[in-house]
Amino acid sequence: MAKKTRSEPHRVAVEGEVTIYRAAELKQHLLGELAAHPELEFDLSLVQEIDGSGLQLLILLKQEAARLKRSVKFCGHSQAVLDVLDLCDLGGYFGDPVVIPSPNSAR
Amino acid sequence: MNLDDALKTFVIESRELLEQMEDALLHIEQAPDDPDTINAIFRAAHTIKGSAGLFGLDHIVRFTHAAESVLDRVRAGEVAVDGDLAALFLQVCDLLNTLIDGVSEGAEPDADTEAQAQRLIGQLNVYTQGEAGIPDHTAPAPAEARRDGPEPTLAEADHWHLSLRFGSDVFRNGMDPLSFIRYLNRLGRIAHIVTLTDALPVAAEMDPETCYLGFEIGFESGATKAEIESVFEFVAEDSVLHILPPRSKISDYIELIRSLPEQEMQLGEILVRCGTLTDKELQAGLDRQAHGDRHPPPPIGEVLIEQTVVHPPVVEAALEKQQKVKEQKRQEASFIRVDAQKLDKLINLVGELIISSAATNLIAERVNMDGLSEATSTMTRLVEEVRDSVLSLRMVQIGATFGRFQRVVHDVSKELGKDIRLEISGEETELDKTVVEKIGDPLTHLVRNSMDHGIEPADIRLARGKPAYGTLQLNAYHDAGNIVIEVSDDGGGLNRDKILAKALERGLIETNQVLSDREIYALIFEPGFSTADQVSNLSGRGVGMDVVRRNIQSLRGTVDVDSEPGVGTTIRIRLPLTLAIIDGFMVGVAGSSYVLPLDTVVECIELTASDRAMAGDGTYLNLRGEVLPYLRLRDFFDVHHSDIQRENVVVVQYAGRKAGLVVDDLLGEFQTVIKPLGKVFSLIKGIGGFTILGNGEVALILDVARLMQQVTSREDGRDAVRH
Amino acid sequence: MAKTILIVDDSTSLRQVVSIALQGAGYDVLEAVDGQDGLAKLDGRKIHLIISDVNMPNMDGLTFLREAKKLPAYKFTPVIMLTTESGEGKKQEGQQSGAKAWVVKPFKPEQMLAAVAKLILP
Repeated sequence: MAKKTRSEPHRVAVEGEVTIYRAAELKQHLLGELAAHPELEFDLSLVQEIDGSGLQLLILLKQEAARLKRSVKFCGHSQAVLDVLDLCDLGGYFGDPVVIPSPNSAR
Repeated sequence: MNLDDALKTFVIESRELLEQMEDALLHIEQAPDDPDTINAIFRAAHTIKGSAGLFGLDHIVRFTHAAESVLDRVRAGEVAVDGDLAALFLQVCDLLNTLIDGVSEGAEPDADTEAQAQRLIGQLNVYTQGEAGIPDHTAPAPAEARRDGPEPTLAEADHWHLSLRFGSDVFRNGMDPLSFIRYLNRLGRIAHIVTLTDALPVAAEMDPETCYLGFEIGFESGATKAEIESVFEFVAEDSVLHILPPRSKISDYIELIRSLPEQEMQLGEILVRCGTLTDKELQAGLDRQAHGDRHPPPPIGEVLIEQTVVHPPVVEAALEKQQKVKEQKRQEASFIRVDAQKLDKLINLVGELIISSAATNLIAERVNMDGLSEATSTMTRLVEEVRDSVLSLRMVQIGATFGRFQRVVHDVSKELGKDIRLEISGEETELDKTVVEKIGDPLTHLVRNSMDHGIEPADIRLARGKPAYGTLQLNAYHDAGNIVIEVSDDGGGLNRDKILAKALERGLIETNQVLSDREIYALIFEPGFSTADQVSNLSGRGVGMDVVRRNIQSLRGTVDVDSEPGVGTTIRIRLPLTLAIIDGFMVGVAGSSYVLPLDTVVECIELTASDRAMAGDGTYLNLRGEVLPYLRLRDFFDVHHSDIQRENVVVVQYAGRKAGLVVDDLLGEFQTVIKPLGKVFSLIKGIGGFTILGNGEVALILDVARLMQQVTSREDGRDAVRH
Repeated sequence: MAKTILIVDDSTSLRQVVSIALQGAGYDVLEAVDGQDGLAKLDGRKIHLIISDVNMPNMDGLTFLREAKKLPAYKFTPVIMLTTESGEGKKQEGQQSGAKAWVVKPFKPEQMLAAVAKLILP
């Protein structure tokens, strides 16, 4: 589920369904990564589905990083992630470079 | 699958449910408190209403709703089931059948039906007085904000403001706040949305399955408040939702800000960000409130939706208990519906298969090729199995047919003013669907007849030392390849002398004729015979019993009567299990082949010269000391063949009687497809049909029942040989 | 990939109409005739939504939902209960069994589609 790459910052790929069915497992796993690496980048390009619980988890990571004064970035937002950030108008909150799709390609 | 198909399914399903409903209604008087029975009635109404709604059959929905509401009160124990209510529901059942028939024909209900529906709804509503009618879910709720307040300090924004704090269990309940927000897009446009994460605790305390999300939304929409509310109806109980219409009073917004858990200033800013309030409006509003200008604040409830629902644990416990009682274990196997015509075609094909497999067997025997005989015998066995399975597809239990008589007995006993109870047994006995369909009418006539003429009025019954209520029994069982259906009553029995007198009067018999009891009783089936002193409107018009017998005979069946004065009468119908294929026993008579149904064959014996000598007058044989009437088929069919080397007797049994049929050759068991004879031949006595043999020859199938009548009719008044 | 909806109701015609409507909206549909059949149809499959009647023979809807919710794969599966306007008590009991969404019988196909759309995307 999580692939590590050699580049800095430490890169973690989040894949598949980021939903309530996996919320408990993902929380433990992603916070573990956060604890282990001072600089983190979550690759969201393989996220197929994300629901409110998944969104909440991403927010938690961001909030926890700020509390621990660590750097967390999200990159490669998949269409599913973009849809949700767009819906909730959270692109700004995540403050990451987000590739905004052209209006006619959205959804 | 399209909607038309679904509508057909609806019609079939509804008819079945109505049958169950009727059945349950007829039982309910005997067991008014049985939750299963009440539930069956309720389920029928409920299911029909549910499906009717899907098809937009609003007249059926209205009608079933009235019925369901009463049933609901019955289930709740608020209304007791008595004879009147059961009778009312029987009418409901009938009208529903009419309405369903209308659906099936694609016709709108006519004025009469409408009027009757209205009348019944009126009668039903008597039981639910004080209850609300069907809630109208489509009507827009009158929850639009009132704009006629004396305080015209309205916000300028022309969009709704939605303030959503989702309940902590939303995810656990399988719901996603984001889905609801997406759905909002169907009603309008989300102008602004702010996602609130203030409630999210630090990581260690955060439960990933708990929802901490909140949203403030500026929403442009022409929808009504009720419509917007309904988007969140599934989460409304556990969540805090505020929906403010466009141009609400500024004080309302301020009130909202105060009621929310987040800090005042932050929320104020959010409202400004959502475009709901301008900075100025916010400031002015907060100032006014700060100055204690709280009077008169509009009632919050008018504009704010506060939804908190209490779950009183006591109520729940009670409901759970109630549910446990109602849980039922009615067994319902899963069925596939098949067009009966498809089944008939299959049976026909299997018939042809049997013939061609017989042909193959013949050839195999002739060519005597290695392995061929084995192969054909395997095939024969398989064909037999296929035949049995196919025939079993057509077999249905007689229970459903019997069940319908609950209603008949119920109605007729009311009509006659007699208390008559119906007892049913052997309802699991199976018989061919075609036979089931055709036996309904004759049975109805017999049942009505028994109730009308058989069972005596209560005073006479009491005088005879019988219970005041009469008992009618329907019974079915299998006997020697036949199904036997009995209609019995515990009434006065047939009046032998009266029948004789009437038969004489009608010229059905001669004065000097000597008849057995059985034959006298059988006279009631003669055309134009009626013994009732009083002609009631049910039966007794002298038509019917002869029609009953003719109907039964057309099914290759027979009917006979047992009766004992003062004790009761039993009418016994014997029918073949199936009309299509039989296991036959082939015999040769004068060079031609005949087939006897194998189930009727008891044994075969050689007719020796001494037997022939002893037979004397040619009507009786001595079968191990038993007197056996016999019939020589050569004589019967009037066929002659020069060289009789030897003869055999096939002992057949039918309806408890035995007889011998004298034939030339015994040719063995044979599977036979019955092909009906044309009308021209239908008058030939003793022949039930024909079949084509493997070698292409035609064999006649003997009608044992008729042959038996032929044999026994010679006996005159003498006792028949009973087995 | 189309999402899969399981509909559990003892009325064949109701299932047929709902199936037609849901399939038209782009969902895959599985049908079950009662609770017992419903459990059999789950069979570890990925089911995105369950629509279940309450009053059914063999196994009623509430028992079915309680049993289904015991299985990890369906712990978070949204459920739409088919209730009656008179069945307020049942609705509450259903919510205890994990069904927070409901559609009141009788309903029109579009009402069902709306309820489904609030819970899952096609």
